[in-house]
Amino acid sequence: MSSIFVKAEPYFFLAPSLAILFVFLIFPLFWNTYISLHDVSLVTILNPWKYIGGANFLDIFSDPNFYMSLRITLMFVGGSVALQFGIGLLMSVLLQYQVKASGILRAIFIIPWTISAVIAAFSFKFIFDDNFGILNYILNQIGLQSVGWLSDPNIVIWSLVIANMWYGTPFTILFLTAGLLSINPTIYEAAAIDGATRIRSFRHITLPLLRPFIVINLVLITMWSVNFFDLQLIMTGGGPLFASTTASLYMYRQAFEFGLLSKGAATGIVLILINLSVAFLYLRFLRR
Amino acid sequence: MVHKTTITPNPKVWFFAERTLIYSLIAVFLFITLSPLVWVLSTSLKPNTEAISFPPKILPKEPTADNYIFILTDLTLARSLINSFLVSIGSTALSVAVSSLGGYAFARFDFKGKNVIMSTILGLFMIPVVINIIPLYTMLANLGLLNSIVALMLTFQILIIPLNVLLMKSYFETIPKELEEAALIDGCSRLGVLRRVTMPLSMPGFAIAAVLSFRFSWNEFIIPVVLSNRSDSMVFQVALYQFISLYRIDWGYLTAGITLSLIPVLVLMLSFQKQMIRGLTLGAIRE
Repeated sequence: MSSIFVKAEPYFFLAPSLAILFVFLIFPLFWNTYISLHDVSLVTILNPWKYIGGANFLDIFSDPNFYMSLRITLMFVGGSVALQFGIGLLMSVLLQYQVKASGILRAIFIIPWTISAVIAAFSFKFIFDDNFGILNYILNQIGLQSVGWLSDPNIVIWSLVIANMWYGTPFTILFLTAGLLSINPTIYEAAAIDGATRIRSFRHITLPLLRPFIVINLVLITMWSVNFFDLQLIMTGGGPLFASTTASLYMYRQAFEFGLLSKGAATGIVLILINLSVAFLYLRFLRR
Repeated sequence: MVHKTTITPNPKVWFFAERTLIYSLIAVFLFITLSPLVWVLSTSLKPNTEAISFPPKILPKEPTADNYIFILTDLTLARSLINSFLVSIGSTALSVAVSSLGGYAFARFDFKGKNVIMSTILGLFMIPVVINIIPLYTMLANLGLLNSIVALMLTFQILIIPLNVLLMKSYFETIPKELEEAALIDGCSRLGVLRRVTMPLSMPGFAIAAVLSFRFSWNEFIIPVVLSNRSDSMVFQVALYQFISLYRIDWGYLTAGITLSLIPVLVLMLSFQKQMIRGLTLGAIRE
């Protein structure tokens, strides 16, 4: 009797975590599929739902705005990942080179990551403001035309990429710093005795040893950029028109702006597939 | 062995040039990181007329707390600030309790399906939570639980539990098993050991888990904007967002709101910065 109890003990410890994760994370994930196969809107949510098969999917795949949102996602994710990773790697490596006060600098560099996306979004909305923004003010002062940072459809997504760079780069610095700290410093000393320059030892020692960290970091920041739409929602609402509506924001807008919950749910499933392919591609790359 | 003669510049000059380059790159990034925050802080201390006056001044001419007073005395905003504290503290307490139990199971027991459950929890960490907002909305709407602070606390757990379980597992593993075994032999029950021996030793681990939970709960925007946007139950991040759609944007008020919302997390993160990096990397390196 007591041995059964002892065997069951760890499951009792785990039960609360698993229960919460099941109800609020796993079940909704499957529930999402159910919604996407029915006709549900914000207005009819409490009425019986009508089964409509794949009509929601046909609907999004015949919507030019959906294809546009995929293209914008590509630009947003490509730009964000390139900037966050490039600057993050550069800064974490530079801070390793016996820079004075590197502890304090690291603490400061991490600040943007500790605050909420709402704050980042508002701050940059303020800086990018067409009329009162400091950026246009500076441009005017040096004799240049004002730029419609958030109102020009061709520029808006790049303004968002810059805001996302500010917000997201600290995570890469933090993560790669951890990776760099895990490399045994004696390796560098040995390399220096053998006459390797800084740049060569970076290419032949640091990069290969850092590789697993780099891959995981890239997976995380790519997936986060795909799914992240706090900045877009607050800074532009996806506009002008759909010019800054990434696929994840497209999902949100369909569901909660236009009230088409099931069309949003169908978009959510496409998003899951995008996430899975990102993870799969990077894992293939890691194994090679 | 082929000998290459390379022209090496004067090492002193070389060293100096390298240092200059490193420090100027760092200075540029430091400027990029801090200038938006400094600009926001300075605007929040300006009277509204000065906030949009040109040329903009870095330092406010007549610093004023008016914007802060406005935010703190506006009923909806003040209410939302209290809601934010309630939700964040509740969700932090819940998350630390639940994840510690889970982490303890992984650290101390061998049981059937341990690896499967562990990798499932890790896999769940990769699920983008935003994809769940629509099903969560329909679930809670049907249960009549929209605009509920308790529902928010529970949903926030999905952001935090996977990370915290991992964190607490790693932390418990640093505490020697022998201490617990000794207490067990002395006739303490499992839960008694947990309360009298393990918990006091795990305080630093709890602190990291709590700070992380607070940060996630305090900062979360998408979940509460969808699940809880009625004026009596909204959190501060949502209230600030509604605030700009209601009024014409008053940058003075808005920047004051931004600064207020920044303070709690910033204070926590900066005071626990070292443990935070260790905790995060512990979690990240493990797998």
